[in-house]
Amino acid sequence: MAHPLLQSIWLIPCYALLGAILSALWFPGITRRTGPRPSGYLNALMSMATFLHAAFALPAIWGQPPQEILIPWLDVAGLNLTIPIEISTLSVGAIVLVAGINLLAQTYAFGYMEMDWGWARFFSLLGLFEAGMTALVLCNSLFFSYFILEILTLATYLLVGIWFNQSLVVTGARDAFLTKRIGDLFLLMGVVALLPIAGTWNFNELAEWAQTAQVDPKVITLVGLALIAGPMGKCAQFPLHLWLDEAMEGPVPASILRNSVVVATGAWVMYKLEPVLALSPTVLATTVFIGAVSAIGGSLIAIAQIDLKRTQSYLVTAYMGLVFIAIGTQQPEAALLLVLTHSLASALIIMGGGAVVWNSITQDVTQLGGLWSRRPVSGFSFLIGLAGLVALPPFGGFWAALKIAQGVWETQPWIVGIILLVNAFAAFGITRVFCLLFMGEAKQMAQRSPEVHYWMALPMIVMMGFTLHLPLILEALDLLPSWADINTDVALLLIWSTITGIALSAIVYTNNNIAKPVVLPWKGLQDLLAYDFYTPNLYRSSIVFVVALVSQITSWFDKYLVDGGLNLFGVLTLFSGRNLRYSTSGQSQFYMLTIVFGIALISVLLSLPFLSHVTVSLFPQNTTEIVMSVQR
Amino acid sequence: MQLQYFLLIAAALFCVGIYGLVTSRNAVRVLMSIELMLNAVNLNLMAFSNYLDPQQIKGQIFTVFVITIAAAEAAVGLAIVLAIYRNRDTVDMEQFNLLKW
Repeated sequence: MAHPLLQSIWLIPCYALLGAILSALWFPGITRRTGPRPSGYLNALMSMATFLHAAFALPAIWGQPPQEILIPWLDVAGLNLTIPIEISTLSVGAIVLVAGINLLAQTYAFGYMEMDWGWARFFSLLGLFEAGMTALVLCNSLFFSYFILEILTLATYLLVGIWFNQSLVVTGARDAFLTKRIGDLFLLMGVVALLPIAGTWNFNELAEWAQTAQVDPKVITLVGLALIAGPMGKCAQFPLHLWLDEAMEGPVPASILRNSVVVATGAWVMYKLEPVLALSPTVLATTVFIGAVSAIGGSLIAIAQIDLKRTQSYLVTAYMGLVFIAIGTQQPEAALLLVLTHSLASALIIMGGGAVVWNSITQDVTQLGGLWSRRPVSGFSFLIGLAGLVALPPFGGFWAALKIAQGVWETQPWIVGIILLVNAFAAFGITRVFCLLFMGEAKQMAQRSPEVHYWMALPMIVMMGFTLHLPLILEALDLLPSWADINTDVALLLIWSTITGIALSAIVYTNNNIAKPVVLPWKGLQDLLAYDFYTPNLYRSSIVFVVALVSQITSWFDKYLVDGGLNLFGVLTLFSGRNLRYSTSGQSQFYMLTIVFGIALISVLLSLPFLSHVTVSLFPQNTTEIVMSVQR
Repeated sequence: MQLQYFLLIAAALFCVGIYGLVTSRNAVRVLMSIELMLNAVNLNLMAFSNYLDPQQIKGQIFTVFVITIAAAEAAVGLAIVLAIYRNRDTVDMEQFNLLKW
């Protein structure tokens, strides 16, 4: 480990954390005169430092075997909690991705948050996120990953709730926290249960252990299910997906971060845990099932949304579902590739959408239109994001989808069907949003809509460059399959599904002969999708209802039975004191009677042992007889 | 004439005394009942001393003391009754229930 940048890799989370802490200086209550902007610049600088550090460290680790730094944290009573930091091409590469997207999102936020005074809070939370995510990819221990995931859950709560004077923000932040918390708690069960079985939390050691592990299949199935429950909440998978929809109440730059990177933290943990999950076929099947349901459900719901940000958030659920499928079919590399391509493309799409929202005010896609001629940057970012996300060669999304599909083509062809379906739906959904935003007649809200200024345009253009270069980068890194390995059937199927989706959508939404808004023949299905399968009602009538009922019952029990029991004791004592005092009647003759009774009682009690010996004869022969009988 | 007859008589006298003690409304009659009880005790002491201790007759000495103390006690008791009577103009025991609960 000669390279100084590698030796000091542990500094990376500290940069962003420092920025997050220093931002507090520009809270409106502390710096009262000069405004909060320096906090944003400082955080961006810290992101830049992280990015440069990782980017320069990457060549040094390239091709080298992974190295580990151990930082002792706590050693108590036989439990040794050491923080292992893994320095590998993968982890440093992931840091470059995280810091890069963060830097762009922060630059974007300079523009987007122009008219907002809450920069210090916003940017310090972005900094906290960056610190958390870089720490997550560096740390090579399940326990500390859980640790960081929880901190990120709290940060999500605060970041979603940044404009807390809006009631929907407050409920959204609440749901985001509780839903992710439930998943994390299940994950904690899995983490705790894994230690006695495997004896370690280190991911490498877990992988080694999993190769030769002989464990009770039931136990490992339960542990595995708990372990996927955490990422299930984190990645907004069905049925824990409602929070991502409601988290769209937060500001757009935070959404960029969340949709592209934060949801991928769950995928990262799953990637690391893949060897353990592979121990149980049931867990793998469940993972595939959850992924498939989320992917199809999410992409279908995305088509039926009219809120611009929500059309994008459900696609995140769908693509994370594909990541779940990749993990479930034991293709961790494919999952990582998908996370990479998705994060770039998704960030680009959300940036484009945010740019439209910023100066068209409304988020309702049915009230926009005709922006293409006036909004080239936003339009191109949308288009290139679309190209990068769906399976459209030669862009990134194609290679990721191809890799997953090829991996299951021989064994589970029906999964290829799901991927094709999701790909077609996603293509349809994004193209629909593109057409509604940029094609056709400009509606009232979009009639005077200038292009955004450079702070927002710059990151979009840079991100377009990244997305467009991604295939070249992948090729340079030998991550693309060689032409001989490509299964042309799968590739063609994927391309056709994309083209079908895009073409259908374009036909429906640019053709003036089809009435807008489009109404499905069956209104029930359209409403079902538009209202997200009525998930809020589902939550409210199942979990929330049961928990509320049980808490009301326990509250009642506590209030009336437990408290009442104790109070009854006190009340009884009070009453007995109040009533027994009437025994003090004030009549001295009554007292004398009491004394007489007392004496009589005591003498009877005291003489009880002797009474059996006393022979009562009314006419004893002599006086000594009584005395003798008493003495006996 | 046997010891137990005396004892039974004394016990009966004592019970009559107790009955008078707790039922009389006149304070003087309460004092008189106390005298009855004391006399029942004296009767006991005399009987025991006569039948069981004819030599040393310690019971009779006790009896002398009891009579003496009873006289003193009756004097103090009557003084208390007089003191109460001066304040409250009555010797009815049921009017003396001021010190209740």
